[in-house]
Amino acid sequence: MDCHQCRSHCQTAQSPKSRWWHWRQKKTAPSLVLPDTLSKIALVGMPNVGKSALFNALTGRYVTVSNYPGTTVEVSRGQATIGDRPVLIVDTPGMYSLLPITEEERVARDMLLSTPVSLVIHVVDAKNLGRMLPLTFQLIEAGLPVLLVLNMMDEVRQLQIQIQIDHLQQELGIPVMATAAATHFGIRELKAKIATYVDAPVLSPAY
Amino acid sequence: MLLSYPQPIELAIAQIESVLVKEEEQAPLPDASLSLRSLALLLLQNDSALWQRLRLSDRASQFIRTIIEETAQQLGESPMAAITRARQQRASMLEQTVLSEPSVTRMTWAERLHQLTVHPLTGFPILLFILYFGIYQFVGQFGAGVLVDAIETTFETYISPVVNHAAAWLFPWKPLQDLVANEYGIITLGIRYAVAIVLPVVSTYFLMFSLLEDSGYLPRLSLMLDRLFKLIGLSGRAVIPMVLGLGCDTMATIVTRTLETKRERVIATFLLSLAIPCAAQWGVILGLLAQKPAALMIWAGFITTIFLVMGFLTAKLLPGHKADFFIEVPPLRLPRLQNILVKTYVRMKWYFWEIIPLFIWASVLIWVGRLTGLFDLIIQGLQPITLWLGLPPAAAPIFLYGFFRRDYGAAGLFDLQQTGALDGAQLLVAAVVLTLFLPCIAQLQVMLKERGFKTTLVMVSFIIPFAFVMGYVMNMFTQVLGVSF
Repeated sequence: MDCHQCRSHCQTAQSPKSRWWHWRQKKTAPSLVLPDTLSKIALVGMPNVGKSALFNALTGRYVTVSNYPGTTVEVSRGQATIGDRPVLIVDTPGMYSLLPITEEERVARDMLLSTPVSLVIHVVDAKNLGRMLPLTFQLIEAGLPVLLVLNMMDEVRQLQIQIQIDHLQQELGIPVMATAAATHFGIRELKAKIATYVDAPVLSPAY
Repeated sequence: MLLSYPQPIELAIAQIESVLVKEEEQAPLPDASLSLRSLALLLLQNDSALWQRLRLSDRASQFIRTIIEETAQQLGESPMAAITRARQQRASMLEQTVLSEPSVTRMTWAERLHQLTVHPLTGFPILLFILYFGIYQFVGQFGAGVLVDAIETTFETYISPVVNHAAAWLFPWKPLQDLVANEYGIITLGIRYAVAIVLPVVSTYFLMFSLLEDSGYLPRLSLMLDRLFKLIGLSGRAVIPMVLGLGCDTMATIVTRTLETKRERVIATFLLSLAIPCAAQWGVILGLLAQKPAALMIWAGFITTIFLVMGFLTAKLLPGHKADFFIEVPPLRLPRLQNILVKTYVRMKWYFWEIIPLFIWASVLIWVGRLTGLFDLIIQGLQPITLWLGLPPAAAPIFLYGFFRRDYGAAGLFDLQQTGALDGAQLLVAAVVLTLFLPCIAQLQVMLKERGFKTTLVMVSFIIPFAFVMGYVMNMFTQVLGVSF
């Protein structure tokens, strides 16, 4: 696989080393290698905005979701079917900014530094949009293909907050979607949107 | 452009970008996933980790450092502060144009409850309320009492006799029968402990913990405990893993990664492995002491005191600055039943499959030990310790189990207590030792992984003797004062 300029983390299939037990490895090898060739989609955002809930909704897998910041401290990966092709969804620990302060923020940042992704989904708590947007700016500045997801829309509605999504989309110059991951609201639309990125080539971020 | 920074910063970005372009001509940069503008901004904010990753030439590093200094001088503040402010201003401007809140914000029930939970005057009674009904009544009385009794009786009346008979019929050799059945068999002891004692206790505790987690109560508890932590000189941030440690110390030790300094991580790991009882310990200790509320109170007071004193001492011993505390306080939410059930189920499954092999191995090892006579030898060796702690000789094997896993030992105690072999004071002593002792092998593994060999060795060689000495202190305390329950 041609990993443009990155020098690290280019895993190759382990075929040269196979010995007499390779008949067993052959069976397992495809699933081990597959994820690297899949398009990767990263979920990033501040702690406790619902990245893991969205991860569960997209992949149908289960990672622990709590109403407690810092529940996720490691990157977890899961496969989702977008359109009719498999993609790899990567859930990351919460981060406040691209400039990491704590170890788990560095985990999330390093993932973005070293892995080329088809799409970065910035998940935000829609109620606290103003506090979340600085990270959106940084992701856009970094030239990453960003999609902004306004999560927790159920609570936004409860609080009678109005958000002009079209206007936000125009100002930021990136697509903006609304979801409530806990109740699966907006997941189908989000998947449809992601599908348009999976087809696009990986290495040409629009900036 | 979406966001432009003050003039000196834009100038510095352009300069650093051109340095990076020159560097890139000689050798491609290691992390080309981010744009040059982004890399320049990070360097401008002194991102040390990135600085190391990029491996710039000396000349380029020197040049960039000069740019940063000059920019700081022109701005009259650090570039980081100016950059952060520019972003925040743009963000709040954008928020104002796209988001409109209702003009009259009424006080919701959640806000009112929030005020009540974080105010010390009302927050503390709420904590006691939760501890009493959620933990003591639900886990201690219902889980460790009603459920354990029901499952244990079923096991003893229907499964154990069948297994004993089947073993006697299948295997002609007595030792082989003992491996699966009878007093110490894999099924009649290992599986019985796991299914009949540990499972009901831990599942009720996990259910309660998931409920608290999803309601948003835990961050508020952290906020309230923060004051207490500051009193003993610990950073309030360390509260986060501590509160999680009430669920599982192993997970919480991993969560110490959210702490900023190495000092905080070491202190938190130490206190977690010493004085924070995890779900399994809580459950079984509640089960042991629930019938004796006075003993339970003394246990809680004693462990809290040890926590505070040791926290104070380690904070004194390990010099360093206190990091400021900030925690995202999410809104209080009505937990979603489905998420709680799924989460409890996933945790139970994980926990159960983690302990089952260990319990089985423990049974096998005990079997081998008994067959070779090693078991009796070790128990004889341990007897002075149990006598020293004022416990009956029958408690000696339990400490042997405890080395495998604390919950296995606790389940053994539970078993012993039901036969009436222990009085209240003895239970109290055993509960203290089990709480202070390392929780499990998984905890030890995580400590080694996160803190390294040397630090772990120091901690463990303190914790294990300390647990027994405190047991002794408790024994003396009850004897001298003549306390009995």
